[in-house]
Amino acid sequence: MRTNVIDSAVRLPAKDGRIEVDDWFALAERWGISHTVASPPDEFVAVYNDEGNALMADLVEQYPNRLSGLAVANPWYGKKAVDSLKKAFERGLCGLYLHPPRQGFQLAESVLDPLIEVCMEYDKAIYAHTGTPICAMPFQLAELARRFGEATFVMGHMGWSDFAGYDAIPAAQQSPNILLDTSYTTTGLVKGAIDAIGVDRVLFGTGYPQSRPGPEFEKLKPLNLPDDIFNKYANENARRVWRIKT
Amino acid sequence: MKVIDSHTHFPGTSFGAHPRSGDEIREEFESAGLCGAWIMTTDGLRGEPARNNDLLAEGIKDHLDFFVPFCTVWPNEETDATLSELERSVRDLGMRGLKLHPWLQAFSLTHPAVLPILKKAGELGLPVLFHDGTPPYCTPLQIAAAAEKVPETTIILGHSGINDLYKDAILACHRHRNIHLCLCSQKAGCIQEFIRQCPAERLLFGTDAGFGDNLIKPAITGYLDLGVSDEILNKIFYENAKALLP
Repeated sequence: MRTNVIDSAVRLPAKDGRIEVDDWFALAERWGISHTVASPPDEFVAVYNDEGNALMADLVEQYPNRLSGLAVANPWYGKKAVDSLKKAFERGLCGLYLHPPRQGFQLAESVLDPLIEVCMEYDKAIYAHTGTPICAMPFQLAELARRFGEATFVMGHMGWSDFAGYDAIPAAQQSPNILLDTSYTTTGLVKGAIDAIGVDRVLFGTGYPQSRPGPEFEKLKPLNLPDDIFNKYANENARRVWRIKT
Repeated sequence: MKVIDSHTHFPGTSFGAHPRSGDEIREEFESAGLCGAWIMTTDGLRGEPARNNDLLAEGIKDHLDFFVPFCTVWPNEETDATLSELERSVRDLGMRGLKLHPWLQAFSLTHPAVLPILKKAGELGLPVLFHDGTPPYCTPLQIAAAAEKVPETTIILGHSGINDLYKDAILACHRHRNIHLCLCSQKAGCIQEFIRQCPAERLLFGTDAGFGDNLIKPAITGYLDLGVSDEILNKIFYENAKALLP
């Protein structure tokens, strides 16, 4: 079993109005995942952004060595969203989580621009869920990434399912400031991503709670990734992108 | 536990696959843990259905104790010829199911040829497995609307909505008794929801094996940590497939 893995694609579930982390930590420990980059659950992503950011920041303060938190801000809240995001970054959250279907916008549209500018001001990366037509597709992210060439974007699930084998890699090749998160995908797609854009731009993620560490590690076995490649894919890249110090 | 994969493909030259013989595919599938597989064309989803039906039948003819072959037809072709090909596939090639892929085969479920094909399949005793989960042609509720008009035909959602549309697949299953759900490409979190909300008798295990490498073991692994009883797992992995196609 690999150890010292950083998981860049976890969305922690809600339980009784709080964010539940214990079950995930127990599962992560079993699979050698020592640090998690997580976003809050759906209701906090869509509507209750400030509450989600506060709960996430509390957890990060409680578990600084095990958890980094992504902030949420629905762009349709305008200046309120900008203020929410700044406040979340001031509290130590490590990046912005975008979920266009949940938040009701298309990835390339300008309503998002003020939030990307905040991320650039605070030097934070952006994780965007992709794979959902019509609003969360790889080339939309590539267009956004071209517009903000100095920002860093992570293509969540690299467009899984139907965009993963077709659009994800060409979109990443179009915009060098995009990294690919391989959660949900397959053995061949992980290999294809590493071969096409280099391991420095590929991130390991489990996609919990939708997927689980078991199948996500099982799919990597036939690749027999050498330690130095695996460490970049599942540790060093995440440290660089999310500014993880521990 | 015995496992039948209800959604596999005979690898051809399309979609980056590398062709293998029936012997090789069987060995690959068995070593990954399968005791049987419903198998469908790959190249035939790109064109020349009759030729590719022939190739599939020829490729697996020595392994009919393991593979259950599905033919395909193209609804955009002339209807009488399509129905004739369906009959020929059963009579001359021993096909036992029909695979349709509205996205790759470029037809809408409202195409006038679709219902005659589905009715004929029902008359011939063929379950019809659709690719689904992909707009604009393959959403679960589009397929459900067709299924409603052919209640005597068994309709299988080949991916049960894949990612974003899995909730629609659950609704389709609730409304239509002739709809079964193949959980191919589904992740653990969604599989739990299918098991919680749908009759276990209408759930099937599937992986798309043959379409890509190493798809079977990660998929099986995805079921193992779910806390599901052996009785339910046995239905999904084996009994339900056997009940539909003994």
